Amino acid sequence: MIGWKPWLFPAPSHVLDALLGLMNIHTGFGEPISAHWPRVILEPGQHVRALAPWWGSPLMKAILVSGVRLLEGFAISVALGAILGLLMWRFLELDRFLGPLLLGLQTLPSVCWVPLAILTLGINESGILFVLIMGSFSAIALVLRDGLRNIPPLYPRAGMMMGARGWRLYYYVLLPASLPALASSLRTGFSFAWRSLMGAELIFVVDKWRGLGFLLEAGREFSDVAQVVAVMIVMVVIGMLADRWLFAIVQRRVQTRFGLAT
Amino acid sequence: MRANSVSIKPIEITPSADEARPQSHGDKRISTPSGDGVSGRGRLVLKNVSKNFPGSTVHALRDVDLVCDPGEFVVVVGPSGCGKSTLLNVAAGMIKPDSGTVTLDDQPIRAPGPERAMVFQDHGLFPWLTAAQNIEFGLKMAGVPRSDRAARVDAALKLVHLSPKRDLLIHELSGGMRQRVAIARALVMDPAVLLMDEPFAALDAQTRTLLHEQLQELWVRTRKTILFVTHSVGEAVRLADRIIVLHAHPGRIRREIKVDLAHPRNFDSADITQLVRTVRKEIEDEVNRVNAEMAETYWKPQTPGDLGADPGVMGDGI
Repeated sequence: MIGWKPWLFPAPSHVLDALLGLMNIHTGFGEPISAHWPRVILEPGQHVRALAPWWGSPLMKAILVSGVRLLEGFAISVALGAILGLLMWRFLELDRFLGPLLLGLQTLPSVCWVPLAILTLGINESGILFVLIMGSFSAIALVLRDGLRNIPPLYPRAGMMMGARGWRLYYYVLLPASLPALASSLRTGFSFAWRSLMGAELIFVVDKWRGLGFLLEAGREFSDVAQVVAVMIVMVVIGMLADRWLFAIVQRRVQTRFGLAT
Repeated sequence: MRANSVSIKPIEITPSADEARPQSHGDKRISTPSGDGVSGRGRLVLKNVSKNFPGSTVHALRDVDLVCDPGEFVVVVGPSGCGKSTLLNVAAGMIKPDSGTVTLDDQPIRAPGPERAMVFQDHGLFPWLTAAQNIEFGLKMAGVPRSDRAARVDAALKLVHLSPKRDLLIHELSGGMRQRVAIARALVMDPAVLLMDEPFAALDAQTRTLLHEQLQELWVRTRKTILFVTHSVGEAVRLADRIIVLHAHPGRIRREIKVDLAHPRNFDSADITQLVRTVRKEIEDEVNRVNAEMAETYWKPQTPGDLGADPGVMGDGI
C-alpha cells in the first residue's frame, strides 16, 4: 500500500495477530510487517520451538501477575481508605485537617509517586504496591466519608431507641446503612487502583514478574505498535469487565435493596 | 394541671346526654383485656424541664411540668417551632434537658431505650431489612432468643394487619404500611410508653383516618401510655384523653384540655365541634401572639395604602 506505514499505523488484523501472538498462537491475519512477524516474547533461555501453550503465554502470565498485584494493593488500599474514611466521618477535626490534604492527593496523578517510590523503596514489588495504594486510598476514603455523611440521622436514632448501643449500633445499624457508600467507594477505588497499577508497571520493570504494563513497555522498546495497541485493548477490557461485571452488579444489588435504584 | 404559667383554667369537656354511648370511656378502661397498662406501668413524669439550645436566645422549653398517667393518651399540639418535638425528644432521652427531671415509673431517663418506643414522622425503618426483620430488630438487641422472637414478630404483624407483607422490603410498602410497621416495631418491645412524633403527618387524608382508627384500636387493646405530638387539631381531638396546647418562645404549657368523650369519636357531634373550635382558637391566639412578638422582623402582607404612596413620585428611585 502506497504511503501507508503498517509499522506506524497497524491494521486491526495486525493488532489481532499481535494479541494472539502474545498468547503464543501464531496467525497471519495481517500482512507480515517484518521478517519475524508476529514477534514472540521469550523467557530467558527459552527457545521459539518450545513455546508454552496459550495458558502459559506471556499475556496470561501478565494478567495473572497484574491481577495478584491489584488484589494485594487494592486490599491494603481499601483497609486504609476505610479506616481513614470512618475516622474522618467520626471526628470532624480530623476531617478538617485531612480532608483537603486527601483531596489534593487525589488530584496528583498516581505516576507522580513513581520517582519517590523508586528512590525510597527501590525498583521492586513494594514500589509498585506503594504507587497503587497512594493512587487509590484517598479516593476510597473520601467517597466513603461522603457516603457515611449521607446516612440519615434517623437510622442511628431509631437504632438507639430500640436498644442498640456501642458496637451493636455500629455493626447492626451504621454498617448496613453505609453499604451504598461502601459499594460506590469500592467501585471508584478500583478504577483508581487499576490505573495506578498500569502506570506503575509501565515504569517499574521487575524482571521476574512481568505485568501488563511491562508488555506495553516491551512493545514500545521493540517499536511494535500492534503489540502496544493490543495490550492497551486488554487493559481496557479488563478494567471494563471488572467494573461492569463485579462492582456495578454489587452496587446495583445494594441500591435495589435500599430502594435507591429505579 | 401542672402548668405554672397558664392563666386560663383548664376546661373539661364531658359528653352531653344525647351523645352518651353504650360504652363510655371509663368503662373501656376497666374492660381492657390486657392488664399491664392498668397495673400502673407507664407513668411518665416531666418536672420543671427546661432546654435552651446553644445559640438560641429563647428557651425551647421552660419549666415544663407534665404527667402522663398509665394508659393515658396525651396529645401535644402547638404552632410550629413551639418545642413539641423537643418535648418528645426529652421524654425519649434523645435530648438532655438543661434542668429538671424526666422519670418513667420513678426511673430517671438518661438515654434512649426500648421502654420508651418512638414512632417517627419519617418512620425511620431500616431499608436493608424486611418488614418482619425491622420489627424483630428491637428484640434482637434486647437478646430475646430466636425462637421467641418469631412468635412475637408474628403477633405484632397481626396487630397492625400486615402479616401478608412480612417479607417485603420497606421501599416496597406504601406510606401507611410503613407507619404501621413502625408502630409494630415499637409495640413488639412491649414499651411502657409509646412516643409518637407526628407519625401520620406525611400521609394522605384517607390513610390517616384509617390509621387513626387502627391506632385507637391498638391503644384500647394494649393500654399503653401514649404521648403523641401533632400540629393537626383534628388529630388531637380525635385521639386524645388530654390535649396539651404549647406556648412558643419560650416553650411552655399554655393550656390543658381534658377530653372526656367516648371513643370512637363522631366528628359530627356538637361536643367535638366545640372542642375543635376551642383548641383551634388557642392555637390561633398563640400564632398571633408569636407573630406580634416578632412584628419588627415579621413580614406582613401590605395593604394598597402602604404600597400606593403618591403616583407623582413613582419611579423616583430608579
